[in-house]
Amino acid sequence: MKDDLAIETFSLTKIFNGLVAVDGIELGIKKGQLFALLGPNGAGKTTTINMLCCLLKPTGGTATIMGYDISQHPFKVKEIIGVSPQETIVSEHLNCGENLALIGRIHGINARELKVRSQQLLETMGLADRAKDQVRKFSGGMKRRLNIMMALIHNPQVLFLDEPTLGLDPQARRAIWEYIIRLKGEKTILLTTHYMDEADFLADRIGIMDKGKIVALGTSTELKISILEKHTIIIYAWNLTQKVINEMKGRYEEVEVIDGTMMISDKQLDFKEIVDRLHSYGAIVRSAYIQEPTLDDVFLHMTGKELRE
Amino acid sequence: MRVWEFCRRNLKETYRDPLALGFLLAFPLLFMLLFGAIFSGDTTPNYPIGVIDKDGTPVSQAFVDEALAEVPVLEVATYENAASAMEDLKLGNISAYIIIPHGFSEQISRSWQDEEANITLEITYDESDFMATGQIISTINAVTRSFAHIEVPITINANPIHIETEITYIDFIAPGIIIFGLLILIPTSARIIVHDKEKGFLSRLLTTPLRPVEFISGYSLCLVVIAIAQIIIFILVGWLLGMDIVGSIGLAFLVFLLTALCSIGIGMVVAALSKTENQAEPLCWMLCPWLCSPGAGFP
Repeated sequence: MKDDLAIETFSLTKIFNGLVAVDGIELGIKKGQLFALLGPNGAGKTTTINMLCCLLKPTGGTATIMGYDISQHPFKVKEIIGVSPQETIVSEHLNCGENLALIGRIHGINARELKVRSQQLLETMGLADRAKDQVRKFSGGMKRRLNIMMALIHNPQVLFLDEPTLGLDPQARRAIWEYIIRLKGEKTILLTTHYMDEADFLADRIGIMDKGKIVALGTSTELKISILEKHTIIIYAWNLTQKVINEMKGRYEEVEVIDGTMMISDKQLDFKEIVDRLHSYGAIVRSAYIQEPTLDDVFLHMTGKELRE
Repeated sequence: MRVWEFCRRNLKETYRDPLALGFLLAFPLLFMLLFGAIFSGDTTPNYPIGVIDKDGTPVSQAFVDEALAEVPVLEVATYENAASAMEDLKLGNISAYIIIPHGFSEQISRSWQDEEANITLEITYDESDFMATGQIISTINAVTRSFAHIEVPITINANPIHIETEITYIDFIAPGIIIFGLLILIPTSARIIVHDKEKGFLSRLLTTPLRPVEFISGYSLCLVVIAIAQIIIFILVGWLLGMDIVGSIGLAFLVFLLTALCSIGIGMVVAALSKTENQAEPLCWMLCPWLCSPGAGFP
């Protein structure tokens, strides 16, 4: 079971001048899993990543990456990880290929493999035609893509993506998401984000982090179900007579009708039963769906505050 | 290997940055060309000096009429006695006066015959005129030495290093400007490193297997290459402008290289102490006055 884990933390703690940034987190991330740390700014996500990639020394506790302890064998760890930092960090006067080559060669990749991998990455990230241009002339989105490519050039086993789509337009975000999805299963990925949709769309498992602690852990669905106290079904229907409404009000806890839209909430809801019942009373159901809680609701529930700033 | 990769990256970052190149090469070169242009040819400042020939021999006559008169920076006037020369010096008509003592010709002859000679000249000058004094003394020194050696039988050329045939302003100014150019390595090396630190590139590389010793050697290697290029270019331009290197060019190179290494080292210390480029800059300028004080710049 333990061999299964690519990243494991043991009450990992970081204190900056009395301020507890990361408060004894216990995490286990399986090999090949895409794990998202979701939390507002200042929750301790980046500090956690920085400790895992040996940039910061933990104040207490430790962690292992593919079995190597981050405090005892930092250089072993550095050999097998790829890190895409939160800020776009590229060498501005170097061109795209040279930036990739620098990281690749530092990791000891031979020239032939480097060429193949750079070409591959440049093509999938859509930068092949700009490979020879100095990076300082690039747009923010292009630099951002290069930032991620630089974490991937040496084919690391474990990938850390710190806010990979921060400040990108929706189109560029989508492109990066699609690329990350392709990496799923191949590599263990720890991703931090404060976008719920990003975590929802990409992650196998999500850890919600607040004030240095992991407050909730699980798949997106598990997290949503965990906070569900009441289900809500929303029905668009014709011919919603007062009789139908009264009938439904008698059966379910909360029933509300606004302009031909009926909302029914209760602890237990049977989709088919409700639709059949409506039909039997003469209403014609055009569409009906169960409203699911969002990760935002989960976050609100767990921490008592909104995720987005 | 990894060090070399990192070093190459640093070099590219520097030579593709016009600002950095400008500071390292164009700035000092501009100074050298400017000073070279201002103080060469017709615009050479002339220093009027007085001469009192107490020796009164054909040799001393030749020294005054030929050797001293031929020096472009000096305008020679002869005086009968020290009192009248002093009067003119006080009035500012002359910058200095020389007294050629009795026995000057004997000593010169001894020197021509490869014997030990004790040539003395008495120079009285206006202390407040710092620039003029420095140049007059060094010029007269050189002229006298060359005079004492110049018409000698071949055997005397045993010590040709001291024969300075011509002293021009560029000789005086070039080494100083080269040192100045090398001192610019302090802020430059600090800037290169602090820039990476500030922008996070250093942190990014710290997540790779690059070892601390490789970081330091990567930066140093890059800066040493820059320094060597600087020295070669400076010496070349100085030489084109007419700077004479007396003695071994290799030694001159070594002295410049040691200065450069010192600058790089100080720059790295500054880089270690500062977190941002804005912090590094004033730290560098704070260090500069000390570096000028030991006379490293202008002899």
